[in-house]
Amino acid sequence: MSDRLLEVRNLTMQFGGVTALSEVNLHVSKGEIAALIGPNGAGKTTVFNVTTGYYTPSSGEVLLNNESIIGLKPHKIARKGLARTFQNVRLFGDMTTLENVMTGADSRNKVGLIGSMFGTAQSRRDEESSHLKAAELLNFMGISHRGGQLARNLPYGDQRRLEIARALALEPKVLLLDEPAAGFNPQEKVELGELIKKLRDAGFAVLLIEHDMSLVMKISDRVSVLDFGQKIAEGTPSEVQNNQRVIDAYLGVADHAS
Amino acid sequence: MSTSKISIPKFNLRDKFGDWWEGTTRNQRIIFRVLLIAFFYILPFLDNPVFGTTESDFSSVLFYPMGMYVLMAIGLNIVVGKSGILDLGYVAFFAIGAYTHAILGLSFGFNFWINVVLGMAFAMFAGVLLGLPALRLRGDYLAIITLGFGEIVRIVAINVNFTGGAAGLAGIPAPPSIFGVEFLVDDPRPYYWLVLTLTLLVIWAYMRLIKRRPGRAWEAIREDEDVAEFMGIATTKYKLWAFVLGGAIGGGAGAVYASQVTSIVPELFDLNVSIMILACVVFGGMGNLWGVAFGAALLGYFPEKLRFLSDTRILFFGLLMVVMMNIRPDGIIPRKKREKVYDKNTGKEVSR
Ligand SMILES: Nc1ncnc2c1ncn2[C@@H]1O[C@H](COP(=O)(O)OP(=O)(O)O)[C@@H](O)[C@H]1O
Ligand SMILES: [Mg+2]
Repeated sequence: MSDRLLEVRNLTMQFGGVTALSEVNLHVSKGEIAALIGPNGAGKTTVFNVTTGYYTPSSGEVLLNNESIIGLKPHKIARKGLARTFQNVRLFGDMTTLENVMTGADSRNKVGLIGSMFGTAQSRRDEESSHLKAAELLNFMGISHRGGQLARNLPYGDQRRLEIARALALEPKVLLLDEPAAGFNPQEKVELGELIKKLRDAGFAVLLIEHDMSLVMKISDRVSVLDFGQKIAEGTPSEVQNNQRVIDAYLGVADHAS
Repeated sequence: MSTSKISIPKFNLRDKFGDWWEGTTRNQRIIFRVLLIAFFYILPFLDNPVFGTTESDFSSVLFYPMGMYVLMAIGLNIVVGKSGILDLGYVAFFAIGAYTHAILGLSFGFNFWINVVLGMAFAMFAGVLLGLPALRLRGDYLAIITLGFGEIVRIVAINVNFTGGAAGLAGIPAPPSIFGVEFLVDDPRPYYWLVLTLTLLVIWAYMRLIKRRPGRAWEAIREDEDVAEFMGIATTKYKLWAFVLGGAIGGGAGAVYASQVTSIVPELFDLNVSIMILACVVFGGMGNLWGVAFGAALLGYFPEKLRFLSDTRILFFGLLMVVMMNIRPDGIIPRKKREKVYDKNTGKEVSR
């Protein structure tokens, strides 16, 4: 047994002829912020999509809490303690902010459809606890004043915060954040960094995909670099920053982009 | 949805009513509900030239198409409006309920009250059989599979013996009297009251489901099925529940219908029924129970009210639909949810 809450081993993911991930090894432990960086199209989001069960990998292993989760449906994996946010915000737009968070809280509850229909004692307890937990998380994320608004009407920044609140409602062990700072101003980025550190200190294992290098370098305990589906470097922020392959990969992308 | 070209000041029925409703006290709400329900029960007696239908019997119209449309549209709304599952074969459940009562009533002498429950059970069973494989599919594929299901049930009914084949079944027994109410061939009112009672029961169950966990699960699935999975929602299970509950309501409606018309043929259960009920849902306001019920009642009522126009009424009806869909593309009472107010600490909803 290791303290690695999430670990992927030799993960390969092919889409038809495209190899999005090739023999990738990654891990995150309790109380750790591991960052996953790399140029666009490197395969970072694909790592999330495979570990959350959306895609079945072509080969390799995914272990959550030392238990293989390959072949499990995403909702089963989510309930085992893996929660995520999305690169492009994906909220339940026509539901209120509070209801969005409640969907995650509900997944921890027992009540079924029949129980809900007849309003059993279990159903009442579960409803109350979902409401309560959602309210707490909105407070924690500083968006409780948005509770009753439809998610689609929230300002962009609050939508991103809501996504994190919704993920936390699953009471996960591992939190996967896909570019959570995208579109944030410097002040908001600092606040987000503080929040992520707070989550780490609370015992979550955080796997963070992020393009903002100063944020990544400031808060990460360990950084892994993907390029064309391969892990080309791993280490402390300063090790990675001075790694020639990493510098080349980023400069190479700058060449393509220009 | 498309943007509307005709610009008409927005008459937002939903918000007007919503504002008023939120300002009422608990007692006022109870009184309002009682009055409304009483109004629907005495509706058959309000047959006057303004309200009623002159060319056809008002009580008949209240039972069919109005009552039937409303009940079925509420059922289909759970599937299409609430959960976002496009079902083009809803008629199958209606047919299963109708044939259940017809066959068990005629061949085995089972009474209607048993058959309506069995009809719902068989419809649910059929829903599981179809739903388990079909609900893995989405969008167009699912629509085509369900459309096929509707047709298959009708074609089976034509081609097997126990359904009476193409000639159908006649002499289907009426429900035995209940609470002193007799079900007679020449009086549609008791049947209307029966549909109304069923509808109220369905609404009661529906309202409890949608404001609790299942409702949130269904909405999440409608909004983004993948994300719903990632949030730990067993999407297949909840979609199957929606499908099966919608099916049960269709089955119950079918049994009631068969008991009133006393004879059924497979051709009654063609694609048009599915389309019509779907039209009720879309026209009324997908995902909003009150919109759907109101829309279904209107779509049942208008062709009868306009009967004096004889054949051109269908043209008028079509025009009305086109105009409505332009003015209110999201339906008469759109689903657009109202914002709510929650207690910041407990997350409980509070009235403003
Ligand atoms: N469902 C898919 N089908 C085909 N190709 C995909 C799919 N998902 C991702 N890819 C490909 O995999 C590669 C990595 O994509 P992604 O993981 O989104 O990159 P990143 O998040 O690092 O920007 C890209 O070339 C992308 O086109
Ligand atoms: Mg990405």
